Amino acid sequence: MSRLYNISSSPHVRNRLTTGIVMYGVILSLMPATVFGVYHYGFHAFLVIAVSVFSAVLTEFIFNYIAKKPNTIKDGSAAVTGLLLALCLPANVPLYIPYLGSLFAILFVKAFFGGLGHNFMNPALAGRCFLLISFSGAVTNFQVDGVSSATPLTDLAAGRVVNITDMFLTGTNGVIGSSVAALALGGLILWVAGGITFEIPVAVLVSFAAFIALFGGQGFDPLFIAAHLCGGGIVMGALFMATDPVTSPVTSAGKLLFGILVGVLSGVFRVFGSSTDSVSYAIIISNMAVPLIDEISIPTPFGYRSSAAGKAKNSKKLPIAAVALCAITLIAGVCLSGVYQMTKTKIEEQQMAANAASYQKVCPDAVEFSDDTDIRAAVEALGGEIYGTTFGKAYINNVVVGKDASGNVAGYVVSVTSGDGFEGNITLSVGIATDGTVNGIEFTELNETAGMGMLCGEDDFKNQFSGIQTDQFILNKAGGSTAENEIDTVSGASTSSGAVVNAVNAALDFYAANIK
Amino acid sequence: MSRKTFWGGVHPNDQKEFSRDVPYQVYLPKGEMVFPLNQHIGKPAKPVVQKGDAVLAGQLIAEADGFVSANIVSSCSGTVKDIKPRRTVMGTMALSIIIDNDGQFTPVQGIGAKTDYTTLSGQEILARIKAAGIVGLGGAGFPTHVKLAPKNASEIKYVIANGAECEPYITCDDQLMRTYAEEIVTGLKIMLTLFPKAEGVILIEQNKPEAIEAMQKACSAKANVRVLAVPVKYPQGGERSIISVVAGRELKLGMLPADAGCVVDNVSTVRAVYRAVCESEPLMEKGFTVSGDAVAHPCNLMIRIGTSCRELVEEAAGGIKEGMEAKKVLCGGPMMGIAMAGLDVPVNKSNNALTVLGEDEVELAEPEMTSCLRCGRCNQVCPLGLTPQMMAVAAERKNYERYEKKLYGLECIACGSCTYICPAKRPLMQLFKQTKAEIMAAKRK
Repeated sequence: MSRLYNISSSPHVRNRLTTGIVMYGVILSLMPATVFGVYHYGFHAFLVIAVSVFSAVLTEFIFNYIAKKPNTIKDGSAAVTGLLLALCLPANVPLYIPYLGSLFAILFVKAFFGGLGHNFMNPALAGRCFLLISFSGAVTNFQVDGVSSATPLTDLAAGRVVNITDMFLTGTNGVIGSSVAALALGGLILWVAGGITFEIPVAVLVSFAAFIALFGGQGFDPLFIAAHLCGGGIVMGALFMATDPVTSPVTSAGKLLFGILVGVLSGVFRVFGSSTDSVSYAIIISNMAVPLIDEISIPTPFGYRSSAAGKAKNSKKLPIAAVALCAITLIAGVCLSGVYQMTKTKIEEQQMAANAASYQKVCPDAVEFSDDTDIRAAVEALGGEIYGTTFGKAYINNVVVGKDASGNVAGYVVSVTSGDGFEGNITLSVGIATDGTVNGIEFTELNETAGMGMLCGEDDFKNQFSGIQTDQFILNKAGGSTAENEIDTVSGASTSSGAVVNAVNAALDFYAANIK
Repeated sequence: MSRKTFWGGVHPNDQKEFSRDVPYQVYLPKGEMVFPLNQHIGKPAKPVVQKGDAVLAGQLIAEADGFVSANIVSSCSGTVKDIKPRRTVMGTMALSIIIDNDGQFTPVQGIGAKTDYTTLSGQEILARIKAAGIVGLGGAGFPTHVKLAPKNASEIKYVIANGAECEPYITCDDQLMRTYAEEIVTGLKIMLTLFPKAEGVILIEQNKPEAIEAMQKACSAKANVRVLAVPVKYPQGGERSIISVVAGRELKLGMLPADAGCVVDNVSTVRAVYRAVCESEPLMEKGFTVSGDAVAHPCNLMIRIGTSCRELVEEAAGGIKEGMEAKKVLCGGPMMGIAMAGLDVPVNKSNNALTVLGEDEVELAEPEMTSCLRCGRCNQVCPLGLTPQMMAVAAERKNYERYEKKLYGLECIACGSCTYICPAKRPLMQLFKQTKAEIMAAKRK
C-alpha cells in the first residue's frame, strides 16, 4: 500500500493573513501615535503604555492558564487592547491606573465573555470607561510638564478659542495618543494595508461633523467643526476603536449604519453631555447595538437582487433600517436640543439668581447692584481672552458695582472664571471693598472632585480670603500659614485650590488696574 | 447590460507559470483503463459490454439510461476485464467497466469521417453529441445534449464558451485555446446553429494573452462570435459569475443558465462538440494539466479518459520532484479540487487536472486558527453576496431554518473564497458543505 496523501475539504490554499497579522498590523499602525505620545509627554507616557500592555497580556495569560484554555496571547489581541487603552489615558496617571484598566478590560469584558471574538463591547474602551467612573480624577487630570491645565475640549465647551493646528499636530494637552496627525497617518496605513475598511471611519467622522454643524450651536463654522474633529478622541475612536472587527457589524451596510450611530451619539454626548468622554460612551453603546444592526443589514444575495421581488425587497429593506436609525438618532438629538433650548432660559435665570445671591453674600452692605459703563468697557476690552499672564487660565466675566441704601458705592463684585479646575471651569464672585479689602468669595460654578476639590466651596477654605487687604494671595501647599495673604490649600486638591487663588488674584489685579 | 466583473472574489496566486507555456503532449496509457458508470450528473450509464468482450477505441461500452444521462465509450482497445465497483476520484466506490488495454488503440470504423456541420439539422447535431457521450468537461459533468436542448431555445441570447480557467495551477484550457482555436470557434458555431437568436461569446481571463490573441484571430473572419477578456479574479469561471458578466443577469438556486438566456460550456466541451460533429470522434480524450510544486515536469497532456492518475503523475509528468515529497494530491485545482488519498483512481470525463503539492497549506494553517474575528472579509469576497460569517454561526448552532431562509445558505456555490480569505483560518467551506448536505438530506425525508 503506497502512502496516503492528506485529505481535507477544499479550498486547499489559504491567504497569508492570520489573526496575528491583523492584530500586529493594528499595533504597527498605532506606532506613529505611540511614538509621538512618548516624545511629547515624556518617559512616564512610555511607562503607562508598557504597564497597560503588560497587564493586558498577563491577565489573558493567567486567565487562560487557570481556565485551562489554549494560550492566546500570541495572537496579539491582548496587546492591542492594552496599547489602545494606554493611548486613551493621560500621560501622568499613576501606574496602577493602566494596570487596573487593562485587567478589567481583558478579564471582565473579554475573557469572561469567551475571549477573542466574543466580547460584546470594545475592551479597551470598556476599560477606559471603568477607569473614568472609578478613578475619575486621575483619568481626567491632564498635565504637561507637571502643570495641570484644561484640555482644548474644555476650552471649546466653554466657548473659548482653541488652536486647531496645535490640536491637529501635537494634541496640545490630553491623552497619550492625542496627536490627530499621527493617528490619521496610522489609520491611513491600516486602510491601505487592508486592515480596516472605509465605511466606519468615514461614517463616524461625517455624521459627527454633520451633527456638530447642526446642533453645535455655531452653525456651519468649518473652524469650529475642525476643532471638534481634532479633539476628544473622535479620530482615535473612528479609526481604531469603532473599527474593532469583533464589536462592529460584519456587513458593509451594517458598518455604515454603525458608523452613523457612533458619530451621532458622539455628537449628542459632546454637545449635550460630558465632553471628554463622549466618544468612548458613544462607541460602547453602539457596540451593544451591533447584533441588531447585523440582523437588519443582511444583504440580499446574488440572484435575489435583480428579480422583481428581490428589487422591491432590496430597495426597501436597507434604507428603511437606515432611515429609521437616522430618524431615531435625529429625533433624539432634536429632543435633546429642544430640552436644552427650553431649559436654557430657565437655567440662565437661575444662574442670574445664583449670581445675584453670591453678589449679596460677598458684598453684604450693598442693597443694589448695577453696571458701571467705564468698568464694563474695561471688561469688554479684554475680549474674552485669558486675563494677564500670571493667573493661569483666568477670565474676567463681569464686574458689578454694589451700592448701599443711600446710593454710595459699598464695594465691587468681580466674577472670574478659572479654566484650570481639576474637572473643568471654576467660577466665583470676588467681593472687594472700596479700599481693596477682599470681603469674601462665593462660587457660582464648582464641579471639582467630591471630597477633594469640592472642599474649596467650604467656609474653611473660603473664609481665608475674607477681610484681607493684599495685592496677591499665595497658595501654601504645606498648610499652617502664618502670613495674612497665605492661603492653606485644601488637602489633596492643590490644583483646585491653586485655580481659586489664581482667580482671586486676577480679580484683585483687575480691580487695581481698572477700578481703584 | 453586461458588467466588467462580478461582485466579490479573491486573488489567490494563480501558480500557472509551472505549466502555462508547456504545449500539449499526447499521452497514451499503458495500464488498465477504468470507466466508472457515473461520470456525469444524472443516472449512471448502463453497460452494453460483458466481461471478456473485445472492444475498440471509440466503441460504446455503456449507454445513457434515461433523459439526463450520457453514453460512455472506450478510449482504448482491448478486452473487458471486469465490471465491478472501483474507487473514483471522489473517494467513493462506483460500478466501473475495467478494460485490459492492448496498447494498440485500434479505433472503431468511421472515426475521423469528416462532416460539414452546415448540412446537418439541429436534431442530427444533438444526436451526434449524445452518441459521442459528451458531458460538461469543465467539472460539472452535465450531459451536453441535454444542456443544448433547453425548452426556450429560441430565447437564448448568449452561447458562452468558458475559457476563464480561474483555478490556480490549471492551464489545459489556456493551451487548448492557443492550439485548437479554430476547432473551438467552429464548435461554438455548431452550437449557435441550435439557437437562432444567440451570439457566441468566448470568455477568457486577461492573464492568458496568447489564448486571447489566438481566439481573436480565429473569430475575426466569423460573424456572430467574439472574445470577451475579463479581469483576473476567482471565481470568474463560475457559471453565475460568467452570466452576470456577459448578460448582466443573476441566477439563483433552481434557475438554469437558460432561464437567463444563456448556455455556458467549457471551451474543452465546445471543442469536443466540434470533434464529435465534424470529425465523428466520440469523447475519448481531453486536455489535462498535471502541475504543482512537487511534480518533476508540470505539463499539459492530451490524455485518454479512464487513465489511472498514478500513470499520469509517475509516467507522464516524470513523478515526484527530486528531494520533495507529495503531501497532497488534488483532482482539480487548489480552490475547488478534491483531495485524493491515493493515485490509483481513473481520470473521468469532467476532471481536468492533477495538482501535486509538497506542502499542505490547510495543515499549516491549522495551528493559526482562532475564534472568528467578525472582520467581515468573507462577506466582502463572497461572489454571491452571502454572509459566510453569519452562516457559520447559524450552521454551528444547527439553526438550519435561519441558515436556509434568512441567510440563503443553500445558494453557496462552494467556491471557497471565504475560507481562502479568512484570517482566523476557520474551516468555513467544510461547514457549509456539511450543512448543505444535512439540510438536503432532511428535505428528502
